[in-house]
Amino acid sequence: MAIPSTIPILGLPWDDVLFVILAGTMLLAGLLVVTMRDIIRCGLAMMVCFGALAGIYVMAGAPLVAGAQVLVYIGAISVLVLFAIMLTQTKVGPTRLVFQTQAVPAAIAAVILVVVLVLTIGATQWGGTGERGETITADLARVLFADWVLPFEIVGVLLLAAVIGGVFLAKRDRPASTDDVE
Amino acid sequence: MIRVIVGAILAPIFIVGLGLIGLAAGGSRSLDAYLVLSGILFAIGMFGFLARRNAISMLMSIELMLNAVNLAIVAFGSFIPKLGAGGSVIALLVMAVAAAEATVGLAIVIAIFRNRKTPLVDEYDAMRQ
Repeated sequence: MAIPSTIPILGLPWDDVLFVILAGTMLLAGLLVVTMRDIIRCGLAMMVCFGALAGIYVMAGAPLVAGAQVLVYIGAISVLVLFAIMLTQTKVGPTRLVFQTQAVPAAIAAVILVVVLVLTIGATQWGGTGERGETITADLARVLFADWVLPFEIVGVLLLAAVIGGVFLAKRDRPASTDDVE
Repeated sequence: MIRVIVGAILAPIFIVGLGLIGLAAGGSRSLDAYLVLSGILFAIGMFGFLARRNAISMLMSIELMLNAVNLAIVAFGSFIPKLGAGGSVIALLVMAVAAAEATVGLAIVIAIFRNRKTPLVDEYDAMRQ
């Protein structure tokens, strides 16, 4: 039995429904990341947010970016953040005050930013055809390793430098040298 | 228990309600919807960065903002044919730089935590005294 091209009762196309679910999940998880009290749960909500965003990348026609999103963000960065959370948990548990005193101005600024961005996006002609294209992975590889090969190599060096720098920063000082640490 | 039930009922309502923002901006076939989503996610991240007290929360908010920018780049790359595969390439490079940023940022937070015994940024006031 073939699946109908639109949802039977509502008459909406399937990809719009999927888009609504993914977008809502992403925004709700994003809101939970910045508002929840327990920071471990914030980290888990961040993983949900990144997963929904990977789905949106697939809908936008960039499957390789979606795969990299799952690998890099859900697999690596979220785990790194969770480890950092566990390393910096204080004994007293979650603090009572989650927000700084500037939370209300920050919320107002965020709302203003959303309004300005939405008005700008609505008022601008972006010059596309209005058609959603698909990035073919073979094309992407050809472009990445031909036109963009220098940035690619530079990013590799940058990652190496970041790894070495991260190890150096987080390394515990040797006991002999702890005296002159202020 | 009651909180779990209330959450299980409220979460789909919120998900659909928030997702309707994207539909109102044109659905999955218009560039505007992706850009509006990206803008909202960026604003959420900005709010978190300005408002949270915990340094790791602030780093997570930065990750949200980087993802929002990535979403905008991927949307442009997919809707404007002149860019070709360039949008996806830039998104991949941004991802690698974000990974480097997360590594160094979390290392700095852990190093400061070892010194000051707190992850809260408003107690890092040694330069103020």
